[in-house]
Amino acid sequence: MYLPDGYTTLDKLREAGEMAEYDLFFGPNHPGMHGNFGYVLTMIGTEIVRVRPNAGLLHRGFEKAMEGKAWAANVSLIPRVCVPDPDPNEVAYCQAVEKLLGCEVPIRGRFMRSITLELSRLGSLYMGMGGLAGALGHYSTMYLMMIERDMILDRFEALTGARIYHIYNVPGGVRNDTPVGWLDSVSGLLDHIEAQMPEYDRLLYENHVVWDRLSGMGPITAEEAMASGITGPALRATGVKADIRVDAPYAAYPEVEVNIPTSGGGDALARAVQVRLDFAESVRILRQLIARIPAGPVHADLGNLAKLKVPAGDAYSKVESSKGEFGYYVISDGGEKPYRVSVRGPSLPAGLYLCHQHLPGMKIDDVAAWMASFAICPPDIDR
Amino acid sequence: MTPERFSRQLEQFFGADARFADKGGAQWEVRIPRDRCLPLLSFCRDHSFVHLAFVSAIDWIAEDEIELVYHLWSYEHRVHVLVKTRLEREKPWMFTAFRLWGHAQAYEQEIHEMMGVYFLGNPDLSSLFLHNWKDRPPLRKDFDSRAYSLKAYTLSGLGLAPEDEEDANVPS
Amino acid sequence: MEDAVLFNLRDERQSAWESVLNYFRKRSMWMLYYCTGCGAIELPPSMTSRYDMERFGMGPMATPRQADLLLITGYLSVKTLKRVIYSYEQMQEPKYVVGFGSCPINGGIYWDSYPVINHLELFMPVDMSIAGCMPRPQAVLDAFQKLMAEIQDGHAVGYKRYRKHYDWYKRNQDAVLARTEAVLEPWEDPFSDPALVESLWNDAPEEIKENREVRHDA
Repeated sequence: MYLPDGYTTLDKLREAGEMAEYDLFFGPNHPGMHGNFGYVLTMIGTEIVRVRPNAGLLHRGFEKAMEGKAWAANVSLIPRVCVPDPDPNEVAYCQAVEKLLGCEVPIRGRFMRSITLELSRLGSLYMGMGGLAGALGHYSTMYLMMIERDMILDRFEALTGARIYHIYNVPGGVRNDTPVGWLDSVSGLLDHIEAQMPEYDRLLYENHVVWDRLSGMGPITAEEAMASGITGPALRATGVKADIRVDAPYAAYPEVEVNIPTSGGGDALARAVQVRLDFAESVRILRQLIARIPAGPVHADLGNLAKLKVPAGDAYSKVESSKGEFGYYVISDGGEKPYRVSVRGPSLPAGLYLCHQHLPGMKIDDVAAWMASFAICPPDIDR
Repeated sequence: MTPERFSRQLEQFFGADARFADKGGAQWEVRIPRDRCLPLLSFCRDHSFVHLAFVSAIDWIAEDEIELVYHLWSYEHRVHVLVKTRLEREKPWMFTAFRLWGHAQAYEQEIHEMMGVYFLGNPDLSSLFLHNWKDRPPLRKDFDSRAYSLKAYTLSGLGLAPEDEEDANVPS
Repeated sequence: MEDAVLFNLRDERQSAWESVLNYFRKRSMWMLYYCTGCGAIELPPSMTSRYDMERFGMGPMATPRQADLLLITGYLSVKTLKRVIYSYEQMQEPKYVVGFGSCPINGGIYWDSYPVINHLELFMPVDMSIAGCMPRPQAVLDAFQKLMAEIQDGHAVGYKRYRKHYDWYKRNQDAVLARTEAVLEPWEDPFSDPALVESLWNDAPEEIKENREVRHDA
């Protein structure tokens, strides 16, 4: 039987109306799914026709729970909003509270915040790149990257006592100063990371399979990205030079040089490359931070944090996480607990909105890679 | 763009409806009644505030009102604008903004579920986060999360075991 | 095989045949690839080269029908509970459940949160619980080794408990999942009334009315 190029038996059956649509559950229990999240895909053959996101599987009622806890106690709750990249949450919340209090964080405290933020970003980017590699079938790359990430977690453990949820930032600064020799150990880690990176480049970014699979997948223009709330690496991958570290500087970023990398193209490949560029820039920023960190206190005196009272008012504070803008809108009525805390997570626009644009027409095989390229992290969609 | 210039433009288009305030730290605030809110959002979008960060809803129970806050950001001017509008708490409703920003649909769906605000024109306000929810929207201030949890997820609360026998009731 | 199971339900002593079976079961465990909560973040380090779960004969498995081990990695929202029960019931026996962290034990930090269940053992039999938030990879591996010892000793019989007390578990599951009434007080959405919505449309400005019947994904 002769069929023209690109015209499959599937198309023929579809035109004849002989192909039935069926629903396929992609997730929550699926090895390609990042976290506990699901798409209900309406399919013809292996092609997606419609998509319905099935969110809320990780809903924990954070915003309600925060209304019931004291201002400082909430710091123990918020890193859980985003599990791979917890520190931006802590910093964004603490900054909003500090804005309401009108308190100034000591300069060493701000440097420590930036250092933990960048380390957290490195860990999360490792997980993102490893997840992308895993979604494309390159499990050994993922395995290797997990080891590197674990070394970052070791540094976090030495500093804060915890691997995942550090609870290191508190209103007024950070909890404690660095242990002796900690900054040197981070420098040593950066040397190791930079020495290892060419190998990962060879494994992931110089790989034909990765290039062929990712190029052209989920394309988005700069205008579309800005109009649909995309932030972070996915926005910079469309060529927009936008980064909160520069646009609305916080912590110690005004004290160091931040050269925001951008790349063009806007497809999944550009996003993957952008993540790699962000990674390199993050290492550069960390080196500057470690070289320039001054001595001094790390915490402003706010009295007993457990009895902290915050003046009435509202403040929005945002932080550039590894996935984009993490924002906390905090409202106080002058009491010992927040009146309302509203969280902006970076994954929602892509996870719940762009999926309607991008997934129809795609093959089922590409959904996991598409999600990894947007770094969709369900906990901050569900909260 | 200076705050003065923006507030002048606002006054020109919206008169006394829009009340402008500079909160400091590159954050501005505009309060607007519901009927003029969508034109204001459209105006902001056309004046470089293209990024809708998110929409949040606050239950002001003492004033019997629900407040919607649209968070807008201008990449050009690096300014954050909070557009605030108040709705009556009894029957809160608002025009949908999804024709301006597509992802507003998801935020409105969430607010509808969590706060009980109806968005006129939103194509999908179905339940997304909660399973089989029959109670008051959980982010309302008069919803008691602790009482709910104790009643809904313990055997004694479910009426399946006497208060003192709860632990003994797990089979071994 | 069925006889062995039934025998053990009546009597906790192991038959020689079951003890041999258990020896092999404990060395070949496949865990279901399902990240139900935040504890799953410590699974990649445990699985990959640094802590290397595979040296104990454990590996991830994509489908519930071929998995032996269900990990409840952290808090469980009601919506997830439904999926977890589906997955658990699809799994072939013998099957084991491990609860990660404080949340499946008593609710943990979310004990007073409205969408999260507090005691997992009310809904499923739990063979092993790991305390802490988060459990470190060392704790995870330690728990798996303890679970292996329990399997060898014939103590990890949660699946038999589930079968024996199925009515009890089902009753609890239905009480939470198939709820027909409001928990605290019923709430009527005022906008479920079509007449009210219609009147809102009628009063809406013209430019809003134009957008009626437009679907965003069309």
